[in-house]
Amino acid sequence: MIRDIVVIGGGASGLAASISAKKRNKDVLLIEREESLGGILNQCIHNGFGLEVFKEEYTGPEYAHKFIEEFMDLKIDYLVNTTVIKLDKNNDDFIITLSSKELGIRNITARSVIISSGCYERTRGQISMPGDRPNGVITAGSAQRYLNINGYMVGKKVFILGSGDIGLIMARRMYLEGAEVLGVAEIMPYSNGLNRNIVQCLNDFDIPLYLSHTVTNVEADEDKRLSAITIQQVDERFNPIPNTEKHFEVDTLLLSIGLIPDITLLDDLYVEVDPKTKSAKINQAYETSVKGLFICGNSLQVHDLVDNVSKESSRAGLSASDYLDGLVTNRKKIAINPGKNILYVAPQYLDFGWVEKDLLVSYRSSKKIEKALVKVYQGEKLIYQKRRAFIVPAEMETLTFSYLELDQNQDIMIEIEEV
Amino acid sequence: MYDYIIIGAGVIGSCIARELSRFNVKVLVLEKENDVANVQSLANSAIVHSGHNPEPNSLKAKLSVWGNKLYEDMEKELEIPLLRTGAFVVAHNKAEEEQLFELAKTAKINQVPEFSILDYKEASLIEPNLSKSVTKVLSLPTTKVTYPWEVAFAAMENAIINGVEFKKNSLVTAIRKENDKFYVTVNNSDILESVHLINAAGVASDDIASLIEKNVQFKIKGRKGEYFVLDKRVKGFVKNILYPLPTELGKGVLITPQVHGEILLGPNSLEVEDKYHPTTSYEGLTYVKDHASMLADNIPFNQIIRSFAGIRSTSDYDDFYIKESLEFANLYHLGGIDSPGLTACFAIAKYLVNDVMNVNKKYALNPGFNPYRKKRKMFHRLSQEEKQDLIKDEPLYGNIICKCEKITEKEILDAMHGPLGSNTIKGIKKRTRAGAGLCQGGYCEEKIMKMIAKEFNMSPLDVAYDKEETKLFVSETKVKL
Repeated sequence: MIRDIVVIGGGASGLAASISAKKRNKDVLLIEREESLGGILNQCIHNGFGLEVFKEEYTGPEYAHKFIEEFMDLKIDYLVNTTVIKLDKNNDDFIITLSSKELGIRNITARSVIISSGCYERTRGQISMPGDRPNGVITAGSAQRYLNINGYMVGKKVFILGSGDIGLIMARRMYLEGAEVLGVAEIMPYSNGLNRNIVQCLNDFDIPLYLSHTVTNVEADEDKRLSAITIQQVDERFNPIPNTEKHFEVDTLLLSIGLIPDITLLDDLYVEVDPKTKSAKINQAYETSVKGLFICGNSLQVHDLVDNVSKESSRAGLSASDYLDGLVTNRKKIAINPGKNILYVAPQYLDFGWVEKDLLVSYRSSKKIEKALVKVYQGEKLIYQKRRAFIVPAEMETLTFSYLELDQNQDIMIEIEEV
Repeated sequence: MYDYIIIGAGVIGSCIARELSRFNVKVLVLEKENDVANVQSLANSAIVHSGHNPEPNSLKAKLSVWGNKLYEDMEKELEIPLLRTGAFVVAHNKAEEEQLFELAKTAKINQVPEFSILDYKEASLIEPNLSKSVTKVLSLPTTKVTYPWEVAFAAMENAIINGVEFKKNSLVTAIRKENDKFYVTVNNSDILESVHLINAAGVASDDIASLIEKNVQFKIKGRKGEYFVLDKRVKGFVKNILYPLPTELGKGVLITPQVHGEILLGPNSLEVEDKYHPTTSYEGLTYVKDHASMLADNIPFNQIIRSFAGIRSTSDYDDFYIKESLEFANLYHLGGIDSPGLTACFAIAKYLVNDVMNVNKKYALNPGFNPYRKKRKMFHRLSQEEKQDLIKDEPLYGNIICKCEKITEKEILDAMHGPLGSNTIKGIKKRTRAGAGLCQGGYCEEKIMKMIAKEFNMSPLDVAYDKEETKLFVSETKVKL
């Protein structure tokens, strides 16, 4: 039996992609490696989810539940406690090798695949943090899981490196559980989290935020438990400035230093990768350089809001359906390149073979810009522009314009002008 | 009452334990850490050197060439992993080429097999990423890479099966000798007796010696080495180990492919005050990057998943110090076992047992000695047929716990049991590699924590990363979930 679509990952992204594809009468199988659907939403017990999709504020598990309900109502096939260990191609079909206690190792064939495998947390190893390597240095998401799912506290005196949203949320969560939260250090001159989280998670609890600071030493006690850290101010090239050391005695250092799309499953397919997003390059239909292979959610680009993950993944599910329905013809693509003040863009390609006539581009700025003019050029020709106030790297921006009139032989470039 | 007490369960102590278990003797190994291979054997380059480097006629030269050969036997007997990489020592100019020729002479005197000198063109056909600044290389095909943790596990498991006792979390706090017996105090409480005492305490070997001797013959000057680990996705970036020319500080910053596909960059070599706490530093890691870049072009630094520092137990004695104590008969020291200690470990054990201690002249052979040890299965490395066969009888091989390294529930359960089972996160990682991959345990540590709690009937509050003091949690949350 050949499936229409196999969706890999049952978090916010995979649920939305499965639902939209199923509504187009596609035969969908979703594979989830954890024991329940919902992904990371299950450990995000704070509120703030759903304002865009449902116009109402939910907690993470509530938000997930809304989607899981619809997923179940649609009677979509799914497997939990099942890990995809290999993804390969056989002519136009995909071979998905999965592994579980119940099924053993088994191959499934599908005409298309949607990757919605989320992201993983950057670890201290990836930033080469100097010092000892004691117990007590832990990623914020892992600590969140221990706290909210398992019911255990990882420490009582906490410092947080990185102002990503999970770090900020965990600052408040640890505080409310009785821990002393001594501060948050951010190497950039601006916060990497949403402004609302700075206000609600730090300011409301008088937790200091040290911008342009990083951890420059980690100390362990006799028993190899974390005993203290040193933070230092950094210059514009991120080098520590002497004599700015601050010493904190802590038992826990939470790391919220970035999320990286998890695309290890794509290794065998030689998918074209964008070093900027650290994920696959896509066209406007969320299709990778491999035909019929789609990617969305945090495995495509790390989002600030789950609502945007759901919306994006829902579109990816529709794209996969279009592909299966044979609606994609006369493929011809041009590149969408990031220009001045742009950190990355997604999609990286515009493919004229797809039926949609509007192009939605997500991007992030490379710095804080108070008054911005976002411009899209094709060659010398300005094809679209819009004004924006207060663009920051921490918040994903989007723009939409029609590509009906575009030249099909020339690449597009997006830039932000400071005005 | 023991015939032999060995202090230290690194690769050296573990290999000595196994070698002694060939005889009809009662042996105990004491280890201060919560596992074997937890200090010097934990963090090193994992190389089985050819023996090209040590001063001719030194113990280091003799035991490393011999030790390299013994690894071939141990691969069969103990199922120790070996990756036959070969190695290139590189020269960048005429002056360095002269040194390279000198090194080739040393290799010849030390009876290193099969070495040769290649020019850049020949070498770059084999190693396309070799730095274009390289002019000639010394090729050392017998150089290989092993997995030091597995060396210690294999030797110690085999020793235990052959009758050796192993006690972890046992710090030796006092030693005295009376009436031809050693009295060894452990953790300031229990006193154990033994006829012979073997000091294989690595970094702590001088401190152990000073518990009983007035004039310790060697002093350990800890030298730390810092490393980067590149993710296994870079596998194949180099096939050979790349060495710079050696200096008096050691073999220099290397690029070393590892058994499981990762690549190590490092180490530097810095004398440190505190030999028990090697730490990484910004300067040290920058040095490693800069020096590795002299060996190969386009090193994928963006694939770094970890950095670490290890300690070498370098001594002020110029060679391995493997001798009977000058003050106390039947006390034996293994001091200054730095590089090539891992290479030489099996040879060191044989040399100590047969040539220094003459055990073969004092004791009969152990008639039940079994030289073989089966390694734990690494499921994802098996063929499709083997996997399907195993999974039929044992469905837990289907449940992936560590998704980065594809380690299954059954492998983790196996690591908790057997002669050297572990109930810690780090112990499981060392035995299975769960948590050693891209996400560094971000996804699997919680699952392993739960498995440990369940399997050993512990509260999660008692599950530790390594030593008992390194518990994962400090308390339950306010509202019990």
